[in-house]
Amino acid sequence: MPYGFITRRRRVVVGVGLAGVALILSTSLLAAQSPARIPAAPPAAVPIKAFVDTYCVTCHSQRMKTAGLVLENRDVAAMAQDAEVWEKIATKMHAGAMPPPGSKRPDGTAYQAFISSLEGALDKAAAADANPGRPPIHRLNRLEYTNAIRDLLALEIDGKAMLPADDSGYGFDNIADVLSVSPGLLERYLLAANKISRMAVGDPSMVPGSTVYDVSDRTMGQDDRMSEELPFGSRGGAAIRHYFPLDGEYSVKFTLQRSDLAATYMIRGLDVENLVDVRLDRQRLKLVKIGGAGDKPTFGAVANYYAEEFAPDDKAEFRFHATAGTHTVGVALNRDHWNMEGVGVHRLSLTSDAFNQGVTSGTGSGRIDMTIRKLTIGGPFNGTVPKDSPSRRRVFVCTPVSAADETACATRILSGLARRAYRRPVTAAEVKDLVTFYQKGREGGTFDTGIQTAMARLLVDVKFLFRLEADPAGVAKGASYRVSDLDLASRISFFLWSSIPDDELLRVAANGTLRQPAVLERQVRRMLADGRSSVLINNFFEQWLYLRNMASARPDPARFPTFDDNLRVAFQEETRLFLESQVREDRPVTELLTANYTFLNERLARHYGIPNVAGSHFRRVSLTDDKRAGLLGQGAILTVTSYNDRTSVVQRGKWIMDHLLGVPPPPPPPNVPPLDDTKIEGSLRQRMELHRKNPVCATCHSQIDPLGFALENFDAVGQFRALDGVTPVDPSGKLVDGTGFDGPSSFRKALLTRGEAYRSTLTRNLLTYGMGRGVEYYDMPAVRQVMRESKMSGDRWSAMVLAIVKSKPFQMRRAES
Amino acid sequence: MTLQRSQGNPEQGRGMTLHMITKRHLPRRTVLRGFGATLALPLLDAMVPAFAAPEPVKRFGAMYVAMGMSMPTWLQPEGPLQMNPIIASLEKHREHILVPVGLDSEGAVSVGDNGNHPRAQAAWLTGSHAKKTDGPDIRLGVSMDQIIARKYEKDTQIGSVELTLEATDMVGNCAYGFSCAYNNTVAWRTATTPLPMENNPRNVFERLFGASGTTDPKVRGRQLKLDASILDAVTTQVGTVKKGLGSRDVLKLTEYLDAVRDVERRIQKAEDQMDRELPVVAQPVGIPPTFEEHVKLMFDLQALAFQTDLTRVFTFVLARESSTRSYPEIGVPDSHHPLSHHQNIPEKLARLAKLNAFHLKQLGYFIDKLKATQDGNGSLFDTTMLLYGSGMSDSNMHLPRNLPTVVAAGKGFGIKGDRVLVFPDRTPMANLQLTLLDKFGVDVEKFGDSDGRLKPLAGV
Repeated sequence: MPYGFITRRRRVVVGVGLAGVALILSTSLLAAQSPARIPAAPPAAVPIKAFVDTYCVTCHSQRMKTAGLVLENRDVAAMAQDAEVWEKIATKMHAGAMPPPGSKRPDGTAYQAFISSLEGALDKAAAADANPGRPPIHRLNRLEYTNAIRDLLALEIDGKAMLPADDSGYGFDNIADVLSVSPGLLERYLLAANKISRMAVGDPSMVPGSTVYDVSDRTMGQDDRMSEELPFGSRGGAAIRHYFPLDGEYSVKFTLQRSDLAATYMIRGLDVENLVDVRLDRQRLKLVKIGGAGDKPTFGAVANYYAEEFAPDDKAEFRFHATAGTHTVGVALNRDHWNMEGVGVHRLSLTSDAFNQGVTSGTGSGRIDMTIRKLTIGGPFNGTVPKDSPSRRRVFVCTPVSAADETACATRILSGLARRAYRRPVTAAEVKDLVTFYQKGREGGTFDTGIQTAMARLLVDVKFLFRLEADPAGVAKGASYRVSDLDLASRISFFLWSSIPDDELLRVAANGTLRQPAVLERQVRRMLADGRSSVLINNFFEQWLYLRNMASARPDPARFPTFDDNLRVAFQEETRLFLESQVREDRPVTELLTANYTFLNERLARHYGIPNVAGSHFRRVSLTDDKRAGLLGQGAILTVTSYNDRTSVVQRGKWIMDHLLGVPPPPPPPNVPPLDDTKIEGSLRQRMELHRKNPVCATCHSQIDPLGFALENFDAVGQFRALDGVTPVDPSGKLVDGTGFDGPSSFRKALLTRGEAYRSTLTRNLLTYGMGRGVEYYDMPAVRQVMRESKMSGDRWSAMVLAIVKSKPFQMRRAES
Repeated sequence: MTLQRSQGNPEQGRGMTLHMITKRHLPRRTVLRGFGATLALPLLDAMVPAFAAPEPVKRFGAMYVAMGMSMPTWLQPEGPLQMNPIIASLEKHREHILVPVGLDSEGAVSVGDNGNHPRAQAAWLTGSHAKKTDGPDIRLGVSMDQIIARKYEKDTQIGSVELTLEATDMVGNCAYGFSCAYNNTVAWRTATTPLPMENNPRNVFERLFGASGTTDPKVRGRQLKLDASILDAVTTQVGTVKKGLGSRDVLKLTEYLDAVRDVERRIQKAEDQMDRELPVVAQPVGIPPTFEEHVKLMFDLQALAFQTDLTRVFTFVLARESSTRSYPEIGVPDSHHPLSHHQNIPEKLARLAKLNAFHLKQLGYFIDKLKATQDGNGSLFDTTMLLYGSGMSDSNMHLPRNLPTVVAAGKGFGIKGDRVLVFPDRTPMANLQLTLLDKFGVDVEKFGDSDGRLKPLAGV
């Protein structure tokens, strides 16, 4: 009988057994988990012990204990107890990392067959007592809190200004274990609850304040239209979404970019007249003339040259009226007729004195244009309670017509809010608690004050701030049980939306149908299709792939004078759009590495040497040359894996091992000096190879470095190069298993021979993110199940997400033992 | 940014520091450390008052002005204070004013690393040399104010307040490879943790008085009561939701409860002080348009913070190094930095002296304010020590020697005023700071690059 079949049968049987103990697995779910068809027969089983004895125990013997691991005489029959060790072996072998280079190695078929046997045995062992894990209670992180407020109150808040950043673990910042609470954080929650409840209700006693938006970094050129929300024919500036809490007056002020060195802190390009166009929801509020003859600094006397009295932007603050709610405030500069088409064609070198100290525009090449640095929105002044705003519409589901009505209406409002905030139906006692706070507020104020007070209470509620999953009554200690539909709904919405469930998801959870496979799948697909799932794409990938580091990457301007903030943003945008298209179009997951298209604007296309892309907007571009195919050809990845002044084959190699193959190399042993850049002669490659002659280094670097060398054709900011200085780049190398490559294209193919390792790494990372906890060895059978299920649907993103949602760690929980 | 601010207790900042764990596998002890710290502390804090004998309240403020002074105008010989044009506005406070002359900032001396301005500002309150870097690996030393803040922070709601007048949103390389961190603050919690300074009075107010928007005891009292009752309800609630949770989960909720108690304690402190006479101040809208209004508002807020004993320590940068602010309102339309490169041209030195006098006049305003505020049997100033000065003397040469310095101390410190004390060349500024630290009863043997104490000031 084919081996795979046995496992699946057993799994079904065990599932029923479990259900007998702890209830709860519905047969319909089981049906969903049983594969509809059985894949082609796997390779013949390989006796595990014989294989280990032949290829492993030479080093992993009782005597040698290499890497602290002894495989000699390990009892294969006791695999269930030893699963942690055996899983590690499987992972290493998937990545092709063992046996190490130079050791005896089986041929590819035998190698794969062993992995299959090992994993089959592991799955079988695990099936007898699957451990779905026990995620601890989970405090909402800053992003989740911000999104929850948006979905609860129809209110967009600046979470970063209100709450501190969260710690991360396992590479993600939504890990329950590290999301702790401190008095400082709690104070911020209290303060945030106060502010948010005022904003949502529209408290007329609100004190005016101001919010500053950074429009651009000093190296951001603003040559072209920066947003679809800004007028055609404009350049620079930004369109900013701002929440206006009341109907009333607000102030707006833009700050122009100054020259860089403090000594000449002057507005750039002030000698040329510019028109600054300030708009609210695309309607012009004011056109401000700035610069030119009247504002032009006198260059004679030093004192005047430096003087900051030339700050016409300071004087350009003005007030306007806005209604409550979120509006787009746009600020942009006019574009001169002589401003040539094309982005950044005139840019000065960022290291030039002219750029750092200069203030003049001049004309033609080498000029410095006026740019917008900050936008400050102040208010509300003379604000009144809005009759209507998105938040009021969401919150005030009723309006009391008489005093007698009030408590009933407040109860209705607060029940609805609490249901969404707690992510489940509420009890009478819970509502009563909130109504008490409503009454406290009502006594000293209006009906609105009452609601606002109860809302402030709700927002520091343990049941709002934490995701609490309680063991059901009567469950046996250490038993695995299926989490309630309501807990599952929260798990799903925090996974896909980093937010609370919406009404529909709550409804199917509350009426007990969410566990039906068809309903579950429909909900997951609906939520993936919803715009809110963008957060999954952005947040997951930017943490998994370290793309967040792009924001702080600082390539050395002396070596990479063309790297500016526009390019940084373009790198981020390219990868974001690429990932979004991959997931939204539901492509196979391996296409991340191979896709023959990307997203470019003119600035980026010029950087890559790709012709015929004009203008600042991004568009999908097919790649004719496959050296840039997939993620590994994208500037963001290539830059975050480099040093500021040069590439690093070690960092890139390590990144690939860690993030794509899932076998992070161990940290270097202590007292190893770093590679000295200055003394040794020869190319970087020669130096690295010399370095690898040291056997201590070679153990790891023989695996790490070749991966990095494969990408040496891309410099530290992702530009293609045939030469590194004067030395021709040699991108050739071999994977540990001997698969050769001679450049980025063949390297990509070689990597795909390790496709299982990549898929497994991705699955583990997505599961980590989705569960908010680290993936443990006992999750590996579930990881493989997810991989099998997604493979049957062509490895598409939706299939993987769905398989994760259906997986045991996601659906179940282990009771406390 | 508030992450790194010192608040009520030292561990709290630590617990919230961003531990960016870049390795994929989370060391277990990281988690445990997080729990341990937050669990242990409230206990410790609660125990302190029981053992500590009550000590008279003392307060400290340090004010920094960039780019030296017009030294020909400033310098004077040892003896009674002479009222030169820069210091003349302090005449009425003469008996509390001490001017030490001849103190050097060795930490600001170039070791061939350029960046005279950031080095001078960084060294002033730390006696340390700034590590030249524009990356995250900044290193300096603990600043004097933070040594005092550590002593008092358990008794007050906020450990220390950091104020400035200019925007501190510059990041990265501010001057010749020195991180903006050195230019953005003078307060350093540790050698690697600069404390961000706030220039917006609105945010300062919120930090001091919370979300109520006013110091009006009626409104604030209502807010505090509401906060307290919310926390009370949360405490009750935690008891009910514990059911069915595992032991680790309960531990986490305990962590939450501990945080609740800590905040409740602060609210309690605030409520205890509600009967104090306080001027009713509404939350400022933002940054006032002129320098003087801005400074005064910041000093008013700081005086309120002293008065309510919200904190006993502050630092305030009136002008930061390389500032380009101009002061047309006092007839100095020049930008500060280029003016400070006066080339010994008499007209420029005269305008610089005018600017120096304008800055120092603000100190007088604050002393007035403190003297006018009753505290116990005396005034707030009786228990306050203020250190005012610059990290360089002759800014034309970026000279970090012979620093212009003013000490203003209330009678509680026993420092005899109306004096100019001239110290031998190469006497570290840190010696003065160490001697002043003694007056706060903190146990410090060496501060920065100090090599002793200033005899004429030591003891009481």
